[in-house]
Order: sequence, then C-alpha cells, then structure tokens
Amino acid sequence: MSHPNQRPRWPMLLALTAVIGLLVPFQGASAAEPFFSAPIDFDLEAAETDPYGNPAVPTSTLSLSEDEVAKVRAGGYKSAHLWAGAGEWYNAIDAGATARFEELGIEVIARTDAQFDPAIQANDVETTLAASPDVILSLIVDPVSGAQAFRAAVDRGVVLSLADNGAEGYKPGKEYVGIATGNHFGMGIAAAELTAQALGGNGEVGMIFHDADFFVTNNRDNSWRAAIEQNHPGITIVDAQGFTAEPATFDIASAMLQRHPEIDAIYVAWDVAAEGVVEAVRAAGRAADVKVISHDLGAANALDMAEGGIYYGTVADKPFEVGQALANLAAYGLLGKEAPPFVAVGLISVTRDNLAEAWPASLNIPLPEMVAEALK
Amino acid sequence: MAGSSRPFGRRPALWPVTISFRQYIVYIALVLIVIAFSVILRDHGFLSWNNIAAIGRQAAPIAVMAVGMTFALAAAEIDLSVGSTVGISSLVAANVLVLYGFTAGVAAALAVGILIGLFNGIVTVKVRIPSFIVTLGTLGIVAGIARNMNNLQSVPIRHDLFSSAFGTGSVGPLTSLFIWTLIALGIGHFAMRHLRFGRHTLATGADREAARAVGINTDRIRIKVLVISATAAAFAGVLLASRLAVGRHNLGENDLLTVIAAVVIGGTNLFGGRASVPGAVAGAILMATLNNGLILMGLDAADQFIARGVIIIVAVALSMRERRDA
Repeated sequence: MSHPNQRPRWPMLLALTAVIGLLVPFQGASAAEPFFSAPIDFDLEAAETDPYGNPAVPTSTLSLSEDEVAKVRAGGYKSAHLWAGAGEWYNAIDAGATARFEELGIEVIARTDAQFDPAIQANDVETTLAASPDVILSLIVDPVSGAQAFRAAVDRGVVLSLADNGAEGYKPGKEYVGIATGNHFGMGIAAAELTAQALGGNGEVGMIFHDADFFVTNNRDNSWRAAIEQNHPGITIVDAQGFTAEPATFDIASAMLQRHPEIDAIYVAWDVAAEGVVEAVRAAGRAADVKVISHDLGAANALDMAEGGIYYGTVADKPFEVGQALANLAAYGLLGKEAPPFVAVGLISVTRDNLAEAWPASLNIPLPEMVAEALK
Repeated sequence: MAGSSRPFGRRPALWPVTISFRQYIVYIALVLIVIAFSVILRDHGFLSWNNIAAIGRQAAPIAVMAVGMTFALAAAEIDLSVGSTVGISSLVAANVLVLYGFTAGVAAALAVGILIGLFNGIVTVKVRIPSFIVTLGTLGIVAGIARNMNNLQSVPIRHDLFSSAFGTGSVGPLTSLFIWTLIALGIGHFAMRHLRFGRHTLATGADREAARAVGINTDRIRIKVLVISATAAAFAGVLLASRLAVGRHNLGENDLLTVIAAVVIGGTNLFGGRASVPGAVAGAILMATLNNGLILMGLDAADQFIARGVIIIVAVALSMRERRDA
C-alpha cells in the first residue's frame, strides 16, 4: 500500500508547526479582566414580543366554554406534533398538548423530532400531511426555511399552532393561530439573580453560550449577560465561549477553568449542556468552590443539586403548560375563534430549597425517586 | 483491507441464484417495505400520489450524494466531508444568486464542491493520509467556514427559476427533484459501467497495487472520485437550498450516515472493488420510504430510530452473508 521509506517528512513538520501556531495565541489570556470589551446593548425593561410587536399575555387568557369543547369533540380532529428536538422539555410540552387534546377529543397521529435540522423538519411536514391532520403543533427549527416547509400545510388549511418561533412572513390569525412560549428575558434575568446569589454578589464568572441563531437560547443567554453587566456590578464575566453540540461543553469548561482559575461560577445555556460543565468542574478538583447555573430541569443535574453539589441553580419554564396552551390555541383555530397572538408561561427559579416543588410544577411529572432520596 | 485479498473482478459464482439475490437485496427490501407499509398504513395515505411524490423529493438529496459516495467507496476511499459540503454550497448558492443570478449561483456552488474535492483528493494522495482522516478534517474546516460565512444566519432565496428548476417544480407527474435523481443515476451508472474510468475506479478499489501494476494511474482515480463525491454533495446542497428556499450552514449535517447506509445497502462494498449506482439510489429511496412510513405509523422518535437501525442491519447482513457464501 504505502512506501514508508519514501514518505516525505515535510508534511508532518508543517502540520506540527501549524498546530502550534494555532494554539499559541490562546495561551496569553490574562486574569480577572472582563472578557467582553463593551457591555451588550440590551434593554432589560423591554417586554418580549412576537415578530409583529404583540406583547405576551399569560396562558390563562385562553379559555374554552363547555359548548366550544363539545363542538371541538364532535369534529373528530387529528393532530400531528412536529418538534424541533427531543428531551425532558419536549416530552413535557408533548404531554401537555396530548393531555389537553384528550379532553378535546383530538387524536394525535404522528410525533416527529427534527434533530434541529430544517431539512428533516421539511420532510416531516410532507410526510405527516399524507395522514391528513387537521392540526399541526410545531416548534419550527428555522423560521426562514420553515416558511417554505410549512407552506403546503397552510395551503391545505391545516390549523398551525406554534411554540417559541414563528415563520418568516407568517401572520397570527392567518397562516398560524398563535405562538405559545416561555418568558426568555425573564429567565436570563432570573439566572443572573441566581448567579449573584451563589457568589454573594461578588466574583468572576465564565459564560458558555449556545453559538447558533436560535431565538430562545439567544434571548436567554443575552439577557443573562445583560443582567450581570447591568444589575450586578460586583460580578465580572472573565471568559465566554460558545458551543453548538452538547458534548463539547466538558472540554470548553475544562479549558476555561485552566485559563481562569479565579472563576467562581459558570453559566451555561441549558441543562443537558450543563452536565458536561458539572463534570468538568468535578474533574478539575474544583467541586468545593465553583458553582454552575443554567436553564431547564434534568434528572442528572437535579441529583447533583439535591446532593448539595456543583449545580447551584437553574431557571425553568413550564413546558407542560406551553403544550396545553398550544392545544388550546389549536382549538381556537378549529373553532375560528380569535386568539391572542402571543401567550407566555411563567418561570421558576430553582435551587436545592425548592427543587421538590419546582420539578412537578414545571414538568408535570413526579420528582425522580433518587433525587427525592438525596433531598432528605 | 478486504479488497487486497481479491484481485480483479469477481470470483466465479458457484450459485448464480444466490448471486442475483445478493445483487437485488436492496430492491427486494424496498418492495417488501413498500408492501408492508401499504398494508399497515392503508388508511393513512401512504400510497397517495402526494405521499409518493414526497418520498421522491425527500430521497433526492440523499440519492445524489449516494451516487457520488458510491464512486469514493468503489475506489476504497471515503468522503466524510459531504455533510458540511451541503451546507456551504447552499450558502454560496444563496449568496451568489442574489448578486449575480441563476447560472452564477449554481456554478459557484458546484465550484465549491470541486474545490473541496480537489483538496481532499490531493491531500489524500500527495501527503498520503487516509481519506477517512483528510475528509474528517475537511468536515470540520468546511463547517467552520460555513458558520462564519453569514454569521449562522439563514439566507433566504427568492428566485422563481432556481426554485422550480431544483426544488418545487415538476414536469408532468415528475417533480424536478426526482428528475435530478434520475439524471444523477443515469450519469453515475453510465460512468461506472460503460466508461474506462468506472472500470479503473473498481480496479483501484479492489487492489490498488495490482491496478497500478497494469498501468492505471490510481492517484488520479482517487483524486477524481473524491472530486465527484464532493461535487455531488454540493449539488445536493443546491437541491436542498432550492427546496427549502434558504441557504443555511447546517443543511445536510445529519445526512452523512444516511448516505453511507444507502450506498452500502445498495450493494457497494465499504472497502472498495464493487459498486452499484442504481443500488445506491434504491438505498436512498428505501431510507426515505422507511422514514416516511415509520412516521405515518405514529411511532415516536425513539422507536423510529430503533426500527430504522434494525432494518439497516438486517438488510446489510443479508447482502454481506451472501457475499461470503458466493
């Protein structure tokens, strides 16, 4: 196959030089200086709105009379759920929608996970249309390509009820009924509060953010950063690094702790991504003095929190409630009743103290046994 | 490598019947799956024309990539960079289309594919690194460049000709995406079966030393197959960009393993020397059909993964087993 004695040496030398050259600039980062040269331009007072400036109203605004429920039940409608991803959060949103649909006599005929790939989601739309659903609930992966991907469903008169994202050019009450979502600015601000609480108001923190164009995570990450910079002057963000795939956060956090041993806490974009960060803190032997703060709830980190470990706090929204709201919005659409274009659920700041109550309140499932044991 | 123990061509078949079974396993599997879904999903619109057209559209980008990948595998190379080549070509097409129009947009996207393929091929051959490693590196490099290109933003495409030519259009009952699949199939099959290049590719994959000994320029063959694979991936990027009316850095990110599965199910040897372009296209259609049917059955995502995995292993196991017997 190959000829070892003829193999030239220069490519190896060249490759080594290139690798060293790439690594050198990263060694020079100095300690305790703010990572960002200027604070983020972000108005924490501004309310979150949909793409048309409609402010969010609480999900409790949605209600159906007994007559209306009976009317929907009589329709024998079918629904398809086209989610962007999978996980505890999606399970809860699907469970909320399904529970409400059972009351409304709507059959769920398909559930898909696009793995955050807009092309997969476009396939999912086409595929489920073959089964002629009357309703589609979805979290659209990419609002730009989503407009094209969902067009066939809109043209067929399928009632579209959306979580978090809209689609470009789509209007509420026209292409879709409404959007149900969480309070993402509020979540970022609350996570900054938890960070300050963990540090007693003073210290150095690292930030591990979601490096993708994604409405929810971008809003939460940016409002966390803005709230730290504007509301908590004793806290300095000394390092920030983005990730795209969850498994990368272990390496990122390890490197961050290596470069900045002065770090007291790390903020990371969401729960599953935080698992790698918690492991990295443990592996670095910093379990006693570095705290991790994040968003959403997951069993592994909840257990660490219950054991009084590294995971100090998280801010959870209420995905089960988002699911119920999506189902209600769909019923509005089927009835031709005018719906509020943008509804939002509340949030819960979770620490060890209120974990037992917060878990079922957010996900509508019982706290895992192991976590409950550890809390005792 | 599997190919090195086997010189040119195939061994004489002891049982022609089993040989043909092996060759046709992908078509048999496809027919069986279609029949099974037609029965199970008779009330769910599986056999409706709209759904069949949808399967054809969904299979198209995978099929085009599979045709390219067949050449790489036939020559005992592999191209892992196809996943990020799709994304960058969709972005280049979207960006250039706005500025310079249809022809320039498509040409630029294909040129990106050719460049990536040349890079893969030349580094593989000249620096003597396995293509597995080179293209793994390119996968990352290209994904990084694509992420920087438009700062992770989707680039909308509003261009009627571009949309109808590659994505949403149709000629009679055939969607343009399916027509492009047929064109890729025709060109690929002709090149593999009827051109000297195809025979040289298979010879290179079966036993590179022997191929070189009889005067085949195996270096050039290996560069060419990687260029073909990357160009096919770039064209798949054009198809996806047109269908979704958007250029986006992560289009195709999840397609690599589907493409390899489609090619191998289609009867191409993962280690070179044997290849079937029609098999690869049938493999792509089989993957799309499976996906479509499992969703219509109402399985949740986890069960879809499991069912797909089991069916892929069974299909490949059947063809592999026959291979040893033959």
